[in-house]
Amino acid sequence: MTGLARFEQTVLPHLDAAYNLARWLTRNDHDAEDVVQEAFMRAMRYFDRMKGGQARPWLLAIVRNTCYSWLEKNRPADLVGLDDVGPLASDGETLGQASGTETNPEVILLQSANRKLVNQALEELPVAFREVIVMREIEDLSYKEIASIAGIPAGTVMSRLSRGREMLRQAIESRMRRAS
Amino acid sequence: MTPRKEPDAEPLIARDATYYRAPETLRTRIRAAVRAEARERARPMMWRWGGLAAAFATVALVSWNVALLQGGSSDEDRLLAEVSTAHVRSLMAENHLNDVASTDQHTVKPWFEGKLDFAPAVTDLADAGYALLGGRLDYLDSRPVAALTYRHRLHVVNLFEWPSARGADAPPRIFSRNGYAIAHWRRGGLEYWAISDIASADLLEFAKRLP
Repeated sequence: MTGLARFEQTVLPHLDAAYNLARWLTRNDHDAEDVVQEAFMRAMRYFDRMKGGQARPWLLAIVRNTCYSWLEKNRPADLVGLDDVGPLASDGETLGQASGTETNPEVILLQSANRKLVNQALEELPVAFREVIVMREIEDLSYKEIASIAGIPAGTVMSRLSRGREMLRQAIESRMRRAS
Repeated sequence: MTPRKEPDAEPLIARDATYYRAPETLRTRIRAAVRAEARERARPMMWRWGGLAAAFATVALVSWNVALLQGGSSDEDRLLAEVSTAHVRSLMAENHLNDVASTDQHTVKPWFEGKLDFAPAVTDLADAGYALLGGRLDYLDSRPVAALTYRHRLHVVNLFEWPSARGADAPPRIFSRNGYAIAHWRRGGLEYWAISDIASADLLEFAKRLP
């Protein structure tokens, strides 16, 4: 099989995953398309180095890098360092650990939150938290895969996920309160 | 799909957020760009410096590169590659699709007169849901061929025809290449290749409805 045919069979099928990640990181259709196309060109160049690994995390790592380079150049304000992310409004308050059962009123509240609301709240999350939530909950990747894509330890993936979910929960709740 | 390896201790919050799927236009654009990149690499060094010359490279040259890319695969493989490349190219920019745009077969068929050394069969299948859009000249299998275009819902079908050098009639066979369905058959001394991003069953139906 030629390199092109192999690329078309192993990498191209993950176009949706690539676009979804780029769309969530750039928050814009047009920019996501540009980034994804650039990422595919890079992927072709580095295809020899993929070896026998999994194509999806490999491609997503390239998409993520391309997104970050793009953000650096076009939207540096989006790349707030983790240290700059202030403490959560409710740190030390009672929101703490959600029990995960549907008797929890917060969870019931969140489950009824509509897609638009979730989308808006997720879009406004700092990119470092947004990306782990997108990869975990929307793209269904494992902690290990997310760690390799983002180049961070699995423990950091978990803590960012946990913190990100907490921020997201608060954002959704405050939006719902404002709406009602 | 990767199976979940760890259960999430916390409730999933973004589960309901939108999964953005790549638009079809992007899919087509990337497929074409990937192929162009591969062609570029298959091209000998000397030609890369050709600059303008490369930009104006003839269709024959492109076909040759595609053949090179396919690395000595069979006739059928080569034609499948040529057909899908021609299809993608026809969709890549405005006005690549048709040289004569008309839904009237009696306008499209005479347009080919004097441009080809055979008379292509031109049939409007609007009643069956395949509206004739027009036709153009293309270059496949190292010869000029007739390309007819049809619209099926939002999808474009390219139908290529040229005189057969290979013999007896053959019923439609369906192939799949880069996500496109391709049908090939031979009838009345003509080779027919149809390609689209519609379901292969629909393409087969299309092939069978042509006289």
